[in-house]
Order: sequence, then C-alpha cells, then structure tokens
Amino acid sequence: MQKTAIVYSFNTQKTGKIAKRIKEAFGKDADVKLLNIEEVTPEEFLQYDNLICGTATWFDGELPNHWDEFIPELEDMDLKGKRVALFGLGDQKGYPENFLDGMGILGEILEAQGARLVGFTSTEGYSYESSRAERGDQFIGLGIDFETQGSKNKDRVNGWVEKLKLEFK
Amino acid sequence: MSKERKYGIKTTDKETLEHWFRLMTLGRLLDDRAPNYLKQAIGWSYHAPYAGHDGIQLAIGQVFNRETDHLFPYYRDMLTAISAGLTAEEIIYNGISKDVDVAGGGRHMSNHFAKPEWNVHNVSSSTGNHSLHAVGVGRAMKKYKTPGISICSQGESSVSEGYVYEAINGASNEKLPVLFVIQDNGYGISVPKKDQTARRKVADNFSGFKNLKIIHCNGKDVFDSMNALVEARQHIEEHEEPVIVQANCVRIHSHSNSDAHDLYRDDYELNYVKQYDPLAKYRRLLLRYQRFTDEELTAIEDEMKEVVKKAHKAGMAAPDPSPESIHDFVIPEPYVPEKYTDGIHQHDGTPIKLIQALNETLKAEFRHNPDTFIWGQDVAHKEKGGVFNVTKGMQKEFGKERVFNAPIAEDFIVGTANGMSRFNDKVRIVAEGAEFADYFWPAMEAFVETTHEYWRSKGQYSPNVTIRLASGGYIGGGLYHSQTIEGAITTFPGVRVVYPSFADDAAGLLRTCMRSRGLNFYMEPKALYNSPKAATPVPDDFEVPFGKARIRREGEDLSMITYGNTSHMCLEAAHKLYEEDGASVEVIDLRSLIPLDKETILASVKKTGKVLIVHEDKVFSGFGAELAAQITDEAFEYLDGPVKRVGSTFTPVGFNRILEAAILPNTEKILTAARDLLQY
Repeated sequence: MQKTAIVYSFNTQKTGKIAKRIKEAFGKDADVKLLNIEEVTPEEFLQYDNLICGTATWFDGELPNHWDEFIPELEDMDLKGKRVALFGLGDQKGYPENFLDGMGILGEILEAQGARLVGFTSTEGYSYESSRAERGDQFIGLGIDFETQGSKNKDRVNGWVEKLKLEFK
Repeated sequence: MSKERKYGIKTTDKETLEHWFRLMTLGRLLDDRAPNYLKQAIGWSYHAPYAGHDGIQLAIGQVFNRETDHLFPYYRDMLTAISAGLTAEEIIYNGISKDVDVAGGGRHMSNHFAKPEWNVHNVSSSTGNHSLHAVGVGRAMKKYKTPGISICSQGESSVSEGYVYEAINGASNEKLPVLFVIQDNGYGISVPKKDQTARRKVADNFSGFKNLKIIHCNGKDVFDSMNALVEARQHIEEHEEPVIVQANCVRIHSHSNSDAHDLYRDDYELNYVKQYDPLAKYRRLLLRYQRFTDEELTAIEDEMKEVVKKAHKAGMAAPDPSPESIHDFVIPEPYVPEKYTDGIHQHDGTPIKLIQALNETLKAEFRHNPDTFIWGQDVAHKEKGGVFNVTKGMQKEFGKERVFNAPIAEDFIVGTANGMSRFNDKVRIVAEGAEFADYFWPAMEAFVETTHEYWRSKGQYSPNVTIRLASGGYIGGGLYHSQTIEGAITTFPGVRVVYPSFADDAAGLLRTCMRSRGLNFYMEPKALYNSPKAATPVPDDFEVPFGKARIRREGEDLSMITYGNTSHMCLEAAHKLYEEDGASVEVIDLRSLIPLDKETILASVKKTGKVLIVHEDKVFSGFGAELAAQITDEAFEYLDGPVKRVGSTFTPVGFNRILEAAILPNTEKILTAARDLLQY
C-alpha cells in the first residue's frame, strides 16, 4: 500500500477514537500516519496517495471549524491520482435531517479537486431522513453513530478497513 | 461549492478584509461592554448580545445600500447596525437612551437600533412584527419602480408568529423585492427551536411557496454569509421575487440580560458554542492565510478600544430627554381646512347618501393626490367595489396599482399599510381594515404598533394611513356584523378616531383624513350607508376639521352628546320632547372622538346643566364613560343633575331581531332617559 494517512482533528473525542481504531485495523505492519487537520500544511497533505478523512457534522449540517478553515487550501489543490476514503460521525435520532452531512460536504469538495472517492458503504442498517453523504443506496464513506449504534462501531470499522485494503493504491 | 463565489479568504482584497475586521472588533467590544452599563445602573437595561451571529450581521450591513434600500433590523442586530454605518457613539446613545439617540431620543427600548434618516427603521419589541413593514415598503418600491431591496432581519423562533407567515405569503404572492434574513441560533429565549416547528431549518417550511427562493448559509462564517447575501440580492434584482436566507448562528450568551442561560444550557454545550466564535474564526483565517500579521490585527484591536473609550465619554456627557418632552410627537399636525374652518356648509343641492359621499370623496382625493392607494378585502372588483360598494368604480378609473385587493389577513392589511407609508411622506393610504369592524381584531397588533411610530421615532416617521371600517349594528347582524369598536380604539394615544353620522360629515372627515399626516381610524355606521336620514347635500370640496363637533340642534334644557347611528335617534327624541313636553334639547354630534371638541361640550353643559351621553356601544366602559368623567371633572359646578349615559346592554349583540332590539339603544330608550333627567 502506498503512502497513507488518516486526517482528522486531534482535539476531537469520538472522531479521534475512530481514527485510532482504523489505524489499528490496518495492522502493525502498515505505515498509516495520523495527521492533525488543525496543523497540517498543504505540502504535507499532498504527500499522501491514500487519504482517510474523518469529520463530524456540527449544528444543522456543517463542517466543524477545523475542516472548514482548511477548505480554501483544499480548493487550490490538485488531488488527481489520489484515493480518498471518508468516515463521518452522526446522530441518526437527534439530527436525522442532516445525518453525516459533514462527510458529504467534505466528499464533494475533495472530488471536485480531482480525488477519487473510495470506501462507499451501504445505507442499509441506518435510519435517518436525509443525508448529504448519500448517493443512491450508498454513503460515500463510513458512517459512525456513537449515540444510537455505538455497539456496531467495531465491526463497521473492521469491515470497512478490509475494503480499503483492496481499494487503496 | 463553486469558485465563482465573490468573497473568500484568499481572494478578497486586504482593504475589505480590514474593514470587516474593524467592524467586527468594534461591535464585539460594544456587545461585551453593554452589560456593564446595567451593572452600574447607567442604563441599557435591555441588551440582547449578538456574539455568535457576527458573520451574518456583518453581511447584512455590508449588503445594505442606504441610497436605495430599506432595512428592518431586530433587537439583537447590533453588529448589523454598526456594519450599516452607525457609529459607536450612536450605539451607546441608544443603549443608554439619550436624547440624541438617532432612533428616537431614548423613547423606545434600548438595543433597538435604527437610523430613519438612512431608512434603517425603528422596529417593535414584538418579535418579527417588522416583517409586515418590510413587505409593505417592498410593495411601494415595486409600485414606484425604484431600485433597491427591503431587508427584514429576525430570529428563527420569531417565525412562529402568524404575521410572519402572512408577510412571506404576501411577498411571494405580490412578487416583492424583500430579503428575509433568518438568524437561527437554535433558541427563542429558553425554548429550543424544536418546540417551535418540526423542521430543523424553519426556512424550509416555505419551500412550497411560489416565487420564493430559499438560501442557507453559515451565519458564523463571514465569507459564506457575504456570498449568500450577495447571491440573494442578485436574485431579487434579476427575478423580482423575494428570498429567504437562513443563517446558522450560535448564541454564545444568554437571550438578553434578563435571561440566565446556564439554567437551560449545560457546560458541554456552552464550551462547544464558544469554539464556534465567528470573530475568533475570522481572526484565525486572516493569520493562517497570511493576509495579516498578528501585530497588524492587534493594532486594529487597540485602535477600536480607543474608539469605544471615546464613544463612552461622549455617551456619558450626552443630554437625557426632558420630562416635558413627553407630549411631543404623539400625533402629527393635521391638515387644517382653509375654507370650511368649522366643518359647516350652507350648500343647497340634492341630498346624497352617505355611501355615495364616501365613494365620491375617495375618487376626488385620488384625483387630487396621485400618491394615494386603497386596499382591503373585496375592494377591487370593477363591478362590486367592496362588500358595501364603497369603492365602486375606483379600480376602473385609477387602475390596479392604486386600488387592489388584499387577502383575508387583517394584520397583513394594516401592517403592510404601515410599511408602505415609510416609502415617502407623500404616500397616503386608505385601508379597509377588515370587511367589518368585527373582524378587525387580528389587526390589533399591527394597529397598536402603528400608533407608536411617530412618538417612538421622535417624529422622524409618521405613518400616513386611514383605516376605514364598516361599524355598528341595526342590520340584524348578530355578534360579528354589529360591533362598534371605538371603545377599544380610543384608548391608544397616536391615532385620531372619527365617526360621522351624516353624508356631509362623512365626506368632509374623509377628505381631512386623507390629506393629513398620521394615523386615522374612520368608523362608518353601515346602517346609515343608504339611509335617507343620513343623506345631505354635500359640497364637492367639503372639509371637516378634526376635533370640531357639530351642534345639529340647539337647545337650553338638556345636552345630548352623541355620534354615529344614535345621532339620528337623538334628533328624533329631541323633536318629540319639544312637541310633546315642550323641552328644548341640544344635540351635539361629536364627529371626532380623538381629538375631542371639549370646548363645544363644556359650553353646552354650562348652558343646560343636564347631560345625556348617547352612543350605540355598551354603556359599561364605552367611550361615554370617558366623556362623563371629563364633564364631571371640569363642569361640576354647572351640573344640575348626574351625567347619564344611554347605550347597549353589557352583552354581545344577539342575532334574532328581538334580542337585538332589547340590546341596542333606540329612540324610546333615549326618550325615557331624557325625561328622567329633565325631571331631576
């Protein structure tokens, strides 16, 4: 597997937990870096061929500040040739109208810059009203819901990483 | 996420970025400082902090063009006002209610920023009420084909008010250039927004409305807010239809200083919302993308601190309003007739009915002043002209731009009249407040609002509106076609109330109303529309001044004071008393309740010593109670008997004619009361 990094905010609790579990799931021999979106430079970001980007959804369907403030950098990047897998945190019961919207917004931007999105998952097993991360019967990444389906996290992460090992470069 | 957006951290020029940073820094300093004034008992007892709304409020003020636009901020819009150009001094003068406060000399509650000179309008504390005004002035802008937009700013929970739905419906139906900005911070005081409406984003409730675009943006992000409002403005100008922009904000502090938000928001949430501070984010972006150095930003922050210090000094030294000024600007100076100075004529011609007098006067005034407008329910049909045909033929002659129908929304009818009147001082509006006076009640909140405008703006804005209502019973109308409501209306300072009984007075009073500045409430006794009793000759230029009663019959033994339907009954009773009892009764037709012709009343009381007040409304707490109290107070020595009143019983008006007759006054009841009093 070529150069791979997981990008998220080191100041987060739940997103951070998942990021570390994903790294574990790749195994000890895999060289998967953890990058802090709050400090990463565009140059660092561009070094990687495979990127795993993790984000929560804030308020009524927004990106958290730490991703939002990086967007102007992203919008000047050429991400052609890179593979990006997304994971997002959401609360199906509390915010059903904006489930995983943050992941959806991030995916749209990365794709617009030329990245190829991988790691789509089925929407089956989730119950929500609308999602910006939804395409047909799939999400454009992995959906994690601590509030409603926390017990499923482990299996979801492990199953997803197996997929990524095949889909990444 | 298109890169054709106008504003971005990398693309916006440094001068603009700096201008915004100055405004936001200054605003936040003032916002943080405001509570201190209350703590030191200087003032600013009402302050609604805006921290967390910085992005969208900055944007509203930037997009507002004071040459062409109208802006209606709400009581949390401190940064909007600053961004629109108000100075730190002007903010403080308003906060501590100084006489030099540009909104209105400290007469209105603090933190309601306005600058009428720039069409940054005074608004109510009644949340969201100004949505009707914004739509009204938008209507004027469309009719007069002027450039510009009307901006209404409010919180998301205020959208629950019915009149906001009426306003948006109206803007959509009439395709008006209105920008509704909804600042969504998730709360209405302590009530989370999920208790207001089922959708999380209330703007989407309106997705079924035609001619309406809905845009969502991040109100905490300066660039997203600016881009959204620029897009909204462009849409309005190109498509000539309204737009709703909903901006996600966060309320970092409590609703206001009278709310303790730690009672309903936990620590986790409070820390979470602080992370979203829009000003801190903007500052981070300016540094991260190397548009400014930290030194440069700190220098600006220090400069703004000095600005606030200076403004504070000016505020503390500024004069307070004087107690003597309380009577200034209650109601504007009226039109004063030059020809018929007492509202009396000697014209001979053929008598015309009251309804014809109204119709002809409306038409004459519409020809006289091209800036007159009339609307109401059923008003505009070319054949019909209103439920009573008062406006018959008007749309045909004056066109549908000036004579048009309104939806069944009384609050909307009156509220948009208030708004439309703000367009310029020449505009005169006649609104049929409702089909019947009985249906006026939904409009009460807009009415009360309108009575305040002149006073609370310290004379800077006069709503020039005449509200006409078909009033009173004697037509077998029952509870909802018989009400005469002047008893409720005459309790509000800031409105003139007139009530003609005859065709000539109807014409004369209507002319004076339509030529005057200010709010007029014109009650039409509908039972007299076609009655021969009320028909008189009417000179075609007749005028009746406000506050001038008319002695319809002179007498020595007893004064009857009356108006409306009962004027005719009093005249019949007076005639009978003369024929049968040899008594000489004076009948005074008030014509104008506010202002009141006390002079004529007192002169009559001094002459006769006996007073019988007669009106159709209930005796208990009717307008006659006010008259009786004034007479007893000021003419006690001349009275030769108690001041008596005749009116309706203290019951609703029944539909069955038998009930109606038992409830309403009539000539017999007046005769009995008069005879009793004459014998006292």
